[in-house]
Amino acid sequence: MPPTAGRNEGAHTQMRGVVRYTTTVAPARARKRAGPPSLCSMRKTVRQAGRATAHLARAAALALGTYLFITMLLIAVAGAMVVIGIGTVPETVLLVRKIAGAKRRHVREWTGREIPEAYLAIPGPLRESLRAAVRDPCTYADLRWMLAYYGYGVLAVLAMPLWPLGLLVDGVWCGLLRRRAMLLPLIVRLADLDAAWSTALLKPPPRARLAERVRELADTRAGAVAAHGAELRRIERDLHDGVQARLVSMSMRIGLAKRAYEKDPVAGRKLLDDAQAQAEEALTELRHVVRGIHPPILTDRGLVGAVRALAAGSGLTVVVAGDDAGPRAPAAVEAAAYFVVAEALTNAAKHSGADRAEVRIARTDIGLRVLVRDEGRGGAEDLGTSGSGLLGIRRRIAALDGTMALSSPAGGPTMIDVELPCAW
Amino acid sequence: MRVVIAEDNALLREGLLLLLTSAGHEVVAVATSGPEVLPALLEHRPDVAVLDVRMPPGFRDEGLLAALAARAEIPGLPVLVLSQYVEQAYAAELLGGGASGIGYLLKDRVGRVDEFLEALDRVAAGGTALDPEVITELLTRRRDSPLDALTPRERQVLELMAEGHDNTTIASTLVITERSVHKHIGNVFAKLDLPPSDSGHRRVVAVLTYLNNT
Repeated sequence: MPPTAGRNEGAHTQMRGVVRYTTTVAPARARKRAGPPSLCSMRKTVRQAGRATAHLARAAALALGTYLFITMLLIAVAGAMVVIGIGTVPETVLLVRKIAGAKRRHVREWTGREIPEAYLAIPGPLRESLRAAVRDPCTYADLRWMLAYYGYGVLAVLAMPLWPLGLLVDGVWCGLLRRRAMLLPLIVRLADLDAAWSTALLKPPPRARLAERVRELADTRAGAVAAHGAELRRIERDLHDGVQARLVSMSMRIGLAKRAYEKDPVAGRKLLDDAQAQAEEALTELRHVVRGIHPPILTDRGLVGAVRALAAGSGLTVVVAGDDAGPRAPAAVEAAAYFVVAEALTNAAKHSGADRAEVRIARTDIGLRVLVRDEGRGGAEDLGTSGSGLLGIRRRIAALDGTMALSSPAGGPTMIDVELPCAW
Repeated sequence: MRVVIAEDNALLREGLLLLLTSAGHEVVAVATSGPEVLPALLEHRPDVAVLDVRMPPGFRDEGLLAALAARAEIPGLPVLVLSQYVEQAYAAELLGGGASGIGYLLKDRVGRVDEFLEALDRVAAGGTALDPEVITELLTRRRDSPLDALTPRERQVLELMAEGHDNTTIASTLVITERSVHKHIGNVFAKLDLPPSDSGHRRVVAVLTYLNNT
């Protein structure tokens, strides 16, 4: 039974094939056999043209679909590329910065002058990093430099053929004929040219420098606020733990003395002695607190006089150079300068091993300059973590928009150079 | 009386020790930092504790927190809190668990030795001792109130009463008879619309509650 069924099926499909063949081919043969033109054949032609038109219309629709598809595909590909491209923008900008940085270092090695940077920080999340990368005017400055460098970078290549020629010509001209060398110095000129152009192109644009300045001011302002807060807490603590506690203790002793007054005059007298000692200590501490806020001697004697007094009490032989005549700097500037000197002299006396130091106080066009130098063993800590107090001083100076440079190589000398801007 | 002291400042600690022993009290333990206070109180269960508010390690309100914690463990433990400045919020926290056996004084008051010792006794006996500054602040904080209807004398009586003094002390402080003190108190309670109450600390609670809430 199965074999017959299989055969039957085969026959059936064959049959169907034949049937289809005959139905599709028959009209074509009929077309070829079409006789001479007549009214009847005209109708046929029109009908065929109509059919062909329908065919073409379908083809056009299909073509439209294909166009649409390919367009969509291209858009998708372009979109994907843009997305990937956008994702790599921050990385690319960082790379550009690295290359520009390498060129800056390279130029600095030649000229010995730093080319400043004023980049915006590129934060972690893509959205922000993208914004920072695109907004940073330095990005465009760097790209401009890169484009230009594409051209003038060839200067380095120019130097190569100059060498053999230069050796030959200058060898004769300068070496033998004792004339001024002509060709080899040209290589130096080329390097100078490269450095000069790079310096001009790599300098951050004014807008970026302005942004950098704003950032700097925001930082120092935050520092000033923090320093002010720390100062207030310190004063509160000093008053609370020192002066106030001593006064309470003193009052307590007087109270006890009053109680003992009649029964035990000797004990009463002893208590009164204690109370007086505490009154004196309270006064001493109060003086310390006041001095920490604003040294009264600054008010009395001016900066140079106050620094002379500091020097006299420092235990070192200190030469103080400065001029007290003329207008005085603002109180905050004077106080900062005073504390710089106080801290520097304390450190010098405590750690440097020096017995001599020098303080220079000078008015400059833009403000006040204080220089403290000792002939000690150097190696002063700048971080201020180990209670060196320099950190506090640094904050105080930054709050006034000043700068501080500390140079303390091992073996000495230690030099602290502070500039505090103010108007005269 | 057996006393526990908590004070980090050596000068004041030594002074308090001198003062308390000279008055015949026994100092059973001395705590010098915040974390030491509660164990000392739980171990010795003193008749009264004298605690500084601000102590190491944080130099914030360690003494106050220890006092509250100790009173949660030992209900009614008499606690006299000393501070270099008074803070209304601290007074409210201390009195939150009842005014019985609570003292809150400025350290300055210790100098008035007799008054300080009297306040200590009062607190140990379950009374109240509040610093005049706390009361003054409470009274001046309020503007609108029936307090304005009080005569100056009645106001003085109210202040002394709120500080935790009894009629005898009020009478001797103001140099008047106890009978007139009694009369003034009656007037104050009537004007403030408080239920009359004669027993010491219930009276203080009523007054303080009034001052704190209205």
